[in-house]
Parts: sequence; structure tokens; C-alpha cells
Amino acid sequence: MIELSEAAKAYLLAFADDEHMIGSRHANWIGLGPFLEEDLAFCSIAQDELGHALALYDMFVPTGEIDRFALLREPADYRSCALAELECPTWDLALVRHWLYDSAEALRWSALVGSEVDDLGALATQALRDEAFHAQHAEMFVERVVGDRAARSRIERALAEVLPVASSVWTPPDGEETAVAEGVVTRSSASLAMVWADQIRTQLDGLGLAVDPQLAQGLDELPPASTRHHRINQFDRFHTSLGEVISLDPSAIW
Amino acid sequence: MRTYEVFLKRPGKDEFRHAGSLQAVDSEMAKILARDSYCRRGEGDQMWLVDRTHIVEVDPDLLATTVDLPHRNNDGSAVAARRKRLREQAS
Repeated sequence: MIELSEAAKAYLLAFADDEHMIGSRHANWIGLGPFLEEDLAFCSIAQDELGHALALYDMFVPTGEIDRFALLREPADYRSCALAELECPTWDLALVRHWLYDSAEALRWSALVGSEVDDLGALATQALRDEAFHAQHAEMFVERVVGDRAARSRIERALAEVLPVASSVWTPPDGEETAVAEGVVTRSSASLAMVWADQIRTQLDGLGLAVDPQLAQGLDELPPASTRHHRINQFDRFHTSLGEVISLDPSAIW
Repeated sequence: MRTYEVFLKRPGKDEFRHAGSLQAVDSEMAKILARDSYCRRGEGDQMWLVDRTHIVEVDPDLLATTVDLPHRNNDGSAVAARRKRLREQAS
């Protein structure tokens, strides 16, 4: 484990928790995907995200304590964003969230490639290779399904539900200004959010998807940092399910 | 949905081998899905995807004719037996 400043730890914690939550949410689709090939692809993406979470936790959590740290913290101690935590019980919601989250994630890793933190730049370079695939998968899937009228209207309904929480992915982690000043990350969440929002708006226009203009306009409006201290309404049930197995015997060595 | 046949080649001198098939809406999506269905653990470093409708299938009746022509399956045993017999006669 490397020596990290408090700002660096807070920054990595927020990103790791986002990756953990999105990976676990995606993994809920194991065996339930719309067809076998997509099931495999989506669950592989879920595993990639959990792998990213593990690699990030490993930078600031002592080895041997990562499972308990990841699964058994109090809900108030997580720093994940609402977009990653969101329960998406239908495939259209899961697909839209995957598209919005992964396009943001690629930008987040790209801002870590030049990090001053040992090993973080190399990890970011590696993760970006995964993210190129994830973003391509999401965009291609959405592009194809919106060709069908019924599917298009389902995607539009899903967007109406997910877009209001989409910008939460850019909620700055605690002490982000210090993290930027220390070179942990090369760009602020606010500046990345602008790039992302333009990208998403261009894609929405290109696909001709009808969304509330106010929602599209508000994509780069960042929630305050304090919102990372609050969990979504359904979080307790999700949190319990995450810890269900490890809680059977917390002292077990896996 | 279209069906694609997947062929994988491992690094080195191995030839492309049939790995299985998959369903996808078009060839671009097939490439994305094939990665996770057949190549997650580095099973190959090259992949061909063939739209099943592009495969030229040969009528089994056309192939069946060859099994009735044993003289085309000469494995040398008849020649070896004849030479042995001639050697034995000569000695």
C-alpha cells in the first residue's frame, strides 16, 4: 500500500465506491440478460467494474481488510453517487444507466492517466482499455434498439427516469480541490462534466431521442459534494444483499 | 437476429478453429458480443466471424458417393501384401 494524502484517499474512495456499486448492480443481471450473448457481455462488464473497484480499494485499504471494507461499512460511510447506486429493475433502465455511467467513467479514468500517485496512472491506462469496450457496447446497443419504435419509447421513458440523477456521477469527492492541486487527478469533476454533458447531448440529438430539454440542459449541473454522504432510498436493501454471504461468518478467510 | 460462426486462432502456427456460434443483430454488434462469449480469457488473438447465411453448404449426397469407392482409399496394404507374396515366391 502506498502513502496517500487524505485528499487522495477521499478521491479514490468515491471512485472505488462508484465502481463497486455499479459493478454489483450490473451483476444483478447475471442469467437475466435479454439474450445469452448479451448476458455474458453485460456480466463481463460488471466484473470489469468490480475489478476496478478492487484495484482502487487496494491502493488505500490494507490487504486482508478489503472485503469487510467494501461490504460491511455502515451505509453512511460509503461515498458512491446516486447514479451508481440506482436500482434499475428493467433492462431499459439498466441499459440507459450503463450508457450514461460508462461514458462518464471513461472520462474519469482519462483524468487519472497523468496522476502523480504511484501506480494510479498505469491502472488508469489499463482501465481505459476496458472502458473503450464498455462505452462501445452501450452506445452500439442503444443505437440499435432505438430503431424499433416500441423500444425507442421505452428508452425515452428510461431516460426520463435516469437523467435526473445522471449528473450525480460528477459529484466532487470530498477535498477534490486539494486532490487536483496535489496532482492526484489532472481535471476537476466540473470540467469533466462539461465534456460529458456535451457528448451525451450530441448523442441524444444524433439518435433523435426525445428528452425534456431541461433535463438535457442540466446534465453538467453538479450536486454539492455533501450528497456523496447520503445514500439513495433503496440502498439499505441493496447493502444487505451485498453483505449477505460475508455476514454468515465475517471471520472466515476466503 | 443473425447467427455468426466464430473461428479463433491461438498465437503461433495453429490454424483457425471453429469455436462456436452466436446471435447478434449485425456484424458490428457481433464483434462486441463475440469478445465476451468466446475470448474473455485470451483463448485466441485472432477471430473470424462468418454470417451463417454466407456459408456454402455441400449436399451430403454429393459427399456420400466417395464412401463406395474403396480403391480411392488405398492405404498401401494391398501393394505391401503383393510385394511380400512376390518376395516369398522368389526366395
